[in-house]
Amino acid sequence: MRWLGRLFRKSRAEKNLDKELRFHLEQQIADYVARGMSTEEARRRAQLEFGGLERVKEEVRDTRWETYLENLLRDFRYAFRNLRKDRRFSLVAIFALALGIGSCTIVFSVVYSALFNALPYKYFGRSVVVRLNTLVNTGLGKERKYFSPEEVRAFQKQNHVFEDVIVYAGFRPAYDNGHFIRNFANGTRVTTNTFDYLGVPPLLGRTVTKEDGSPNAPPVFVMNYRLWEKEFGGDPKILNTSFTLNGTPTTLVGIMPLHFNAFDTSFWQPFRQDQVGGSLMGRLKPGVSVQTAAADLDAIAHRLHKPNPGGIFPEDKFSISAETLLDSLIGNFKETLYALLGAVLLLLLIACSNVANLFLARATARQREIAVRATLGATHGRLIRQLLVESFVLAVASSAAGCVLAYSGLKVVVALIPAGTLPEETVIRMDMPVLFLSLGLTILTTVLCGLAPALHVLQGELQPRLAGSCKGTGGSFRHGKLRTALVVSEVALSIVLLTGAGLLMRSFFVLTRVDLGFDPQNIAYFQLNLPPSYFFKWGDAASIKSSLEKKNALTRQLLARMQALPGVTSVSEFNNLPPLTSEASDTIIPGKPHQQRWETIIDECSEGYFKTLGLSLLRGRSLSEDDMSPARHVAVINQTFARTYFPNEDPLGHEVKFGNLDLPYVETPHNIYFEIVGIVGDFKTRDYDNPSWQTVPHAFMPYSVAGYSWRSFMARSATDPYLLLKNFAQELRALDPSVEIAESGTLESSLHKFYRGPQFELVTLASFAGIGLVLVLIGIFSVMAYTVALRTNEIGVRVALGAQQTNILRLVLLNGLRLVAVGALIGLLASFGLTRFLVSEIPGVSATDPLTFSAVVMVVVLVGLAACVLPARRAASVDPLVALRYE
Amino acid sequence: MPEGKAEYLKGTLDLLILKIVALGPNHGYAIAQRLRQMSKDFFQVHQGSLYPALHRLEDRGWLEAEWKDTETGRDAKFYTLTRKGRQHLEAEVVNWERLSEAVALVLRAVE
Repeated sequence: MRWLGRLFRKSRAEKNLDKELRFHLEQQIADYVARGMSTEEARRRAQLEFGGLERVKEEVRDTRWETYLENLLRDFRYAFRNLRKDRRFSLVAIFALALGIGSCTIVFSVVYSALFNALPYKYFGRSVVVRLNTLVNTGLGKERKYFSPEEVRAFQKQNHVFEDVIVYAGFRPAYDNGHFIRNFANGTRVTTNTFDYLGVPPLLGRTVTKEDGSPNAPPVFVMNYRLWEKEFGGDPKILNTSFTLNGTPTTLVGIMPLHFNAFDTSFWQPFRQDQVGGSLMGRLKPGVSVQTAAADLDAIAHRLHKPNPGGIFPEDKFSISAETLLDSLIGNFKETLYALLGAVLLLLLIACSNVANLFLARATARQREIAVRATLGATHGRLIRQLLVESFVLAVASSAAGCVLAYSGLKVVVALIPAGTLPEETVIRMDMPVLFLSLGLTILTTVLCGLAPALHVLQGELQPRLAGSCKGTGGSFRHGKLRTALVVSEVALSIVLLTGAGLLMRSFFVLTRVDLGFDPQNIAYFQLNLPPSYFFKWGDAASIKSSLEKKNALTRQLLARMQALPGVTSVSEFNNLPPLTSEASDTIIPGKPHQQRWETIIDECSEGYFKTLGLSLLRGRSLSEDDMSPARHVAVINQTFARTYFPNEDPLGHEVKFGNLDLPYVETPHNIYFEIVGIVGDFKTRDYDNPSWQTVPHAFMPYSVAGYSWRSFMARSATDPYLLLKNFAQELRALDPSVEIAESGTLESSLHKFYRGPQFELVTLASFAGIGLVLVLIGIFSVMAYTVALRTNEIGVRVALGAQQTNILRLVLLNGLRLVAVGALIGLLASFGLTRFLVSEIPGVSATDPLTFSAVVMVVVLVGLAACVLPARRAASVDPLVALRYE
Repeated sequence: MPEGKAEYLKGTLDLLILKIVALGPNHGYAIAQRLRQMSKDFFQVHQGSLYPALHRLEDRGWLEAEWKDTETGRDAKFYTLTRKGRQHLEAEVVNWERLSEAVALVLRAVE
């Protein structure tokens, strides 16, 4: 660190150096005098030999560190002065780089937060959830995540892949919060190790311990922060007080922090140790893959497989699969993020080539200055360093601007992400790693943008540049080529970006403009929360029957009251809010054996269903009021059902059975065959995970058959459907004040949530494409303007020789257009190759949709032309006299 | 110093300075003198090379400097070899000997 000290004691060091050199000189003189010279003669000779004292000093100084620093400082000062002088260049470069770096930081933040930092749980990356898939037609559901206590024990004891396993099962207890009884609060039973497993400490009190799981331990539960805030105003005094859960006094022992929302539940209650059954989550041992884990569990399950009754893994043919917790939570959004990541990197590339181009243009313009400096003795290293310092200053300025951009842009992007795509616990923010990554990118950008022109300038002979003779030669030598290549690649990159955005846009329109087959306008809907008085006891036939009758009576009366309200056109009870479907049911038609699983979506509804949705009856009859009260076993099917399962037959009069109604926990009379009485038109459906619309076999039966506890109603109105919802609530209160409305809205607004995912992607990608286009505009403009400036002389000669303004205009425009055309061609080829990665994101549109491709090319060509117009006009207005004197 | 010698000297000046300082602490002028004497006037090192080299070697920690009185009672900057400098010198001497032997072997080869 001596050099550092010397930096501060510079004057002393200088004095010492002077003293040392003078001593040398005087020794020499003394020597000569000793040899017999006169003092005068000796001094003269010694000084001659020594050369300049200052020069020697300079050479000594050059060996020191502080000199290096000083030069660097000088370079910085010089860079600042230069950039200030050429303000337009600096601003454009900072603008372009900031856009690129800012967008990158935004997307990196989202990706980092959503994929690497999504959950506040310990080692969440190694957490996997387990599922059992049925492979053949069994009448049971296609998959289950619920495992019986015996199955859970088998997995816990026999697996070789997990460090730790937790089990959780949702339940909906009635709980008394001290003021009123709330039904159906969300609760989750968890194994006692769950909180340790997730590794999040409680905000207040404690979490559950091992002792809480023993059969005679006093019942306890832990509360979610939101519920605590909402119902108790965050009062810490409620801790350790007793609540009534499902009729049992239960002590609240802890409250979890805001960002802990495991299993999306309001409270957590420990399982009793002997009753652990539910969904399974395990933490993989280090180095174990998800596939290995699934295979291990699969082997266990198959070894123990024993069919019903009283079986374990009773399914006939099944497989166990596993996926990471994160995948199970964010699913499709991952692909969206990858698409965005690709887009933003393209954008950064465009920004970089733009800036490199600017640098190159400027470096060419500064050839003379650089040549002079080189001639005056600046080494190549020094010149390169100075150019690099300049780009570094620029990069620092743009990364500061980019960070500001990212900070504000991130808020917008986060607000755009549709609710439900990310786990509630995910907080998207700019983290240190992301910032470092962005800064790293900046440095890289600097080197990329600054180095190429720096090397370029130093290549070849300095002499012609010094003479300044290159100006008149048309700027079509080497740098011209590199610059052209940069513009061409910019155009190509932006074509790829725009094509992606364009395809998404097309897909979005296809998605939103799709003819659903029903009319979603003016339909209000709501769901009921039934209190325990409507419940039944498991296995008690009399209780099931009375519960069913009670629910059906409520439904009937409510429908009648709703229908009587002014403005209501038609009303209906229903199961699945169109266009969403629930799990498809296995379908059994007597006389039609089949190997494959036949699937049907089933809906229990009232007779007004078809009228309310505007579905047309194609054959037979619709459901009628007379079918409802006696719960007749009749069904109306849709066209697709008829076409799929009765290809060359009249389905009317045939019977059909649905596996889902025979599930052990479904409180319908089992083994019912429904007579098909009518066929209605199809409407399009979709499920939550799959973004595409599909038409599937669908059947509708009287609501009175199945005793489901969830009851939903919809009504078509002549007026604003929202106004009706209030009236419906009044009618319901008049009927039974203990029943609450759980969820309500209009069908049209519920449709919007399907568009929000694609909308997010569309908006972000389209804005990136827009930014890219702006950058391309700048890039083409700067190159054309520069070329025109270089060719002023040539243009002057042409005009002097009689060229018309239009000739000149055409010359420049054609020149620019050539660049754009080549870029567009390359971009199109690249797009053909790359858009296939978007296939899963663009339902309804081909990845090589010709309309999108041609529209994109048109946009880019227009933008390219626009960028050329100004330089072309400037060229056309060149005065030959001025131009010829331009040298 | 003749033109040709400059090239030989470039890489070896540091080594020679270290060797001379190893014989005993000395100031810049005396180092130059001894270098000339010992090489029988072959190496006549100029101040413009000598002092940058001395300062460079000091920066690297191979030499240490100290202001002391000369025999004639004048204040001069004396350079001493450090332990690190001695190690470096020994390693370099071995290297040099190997190199010169090898060069000699090649040059002496009978055609």
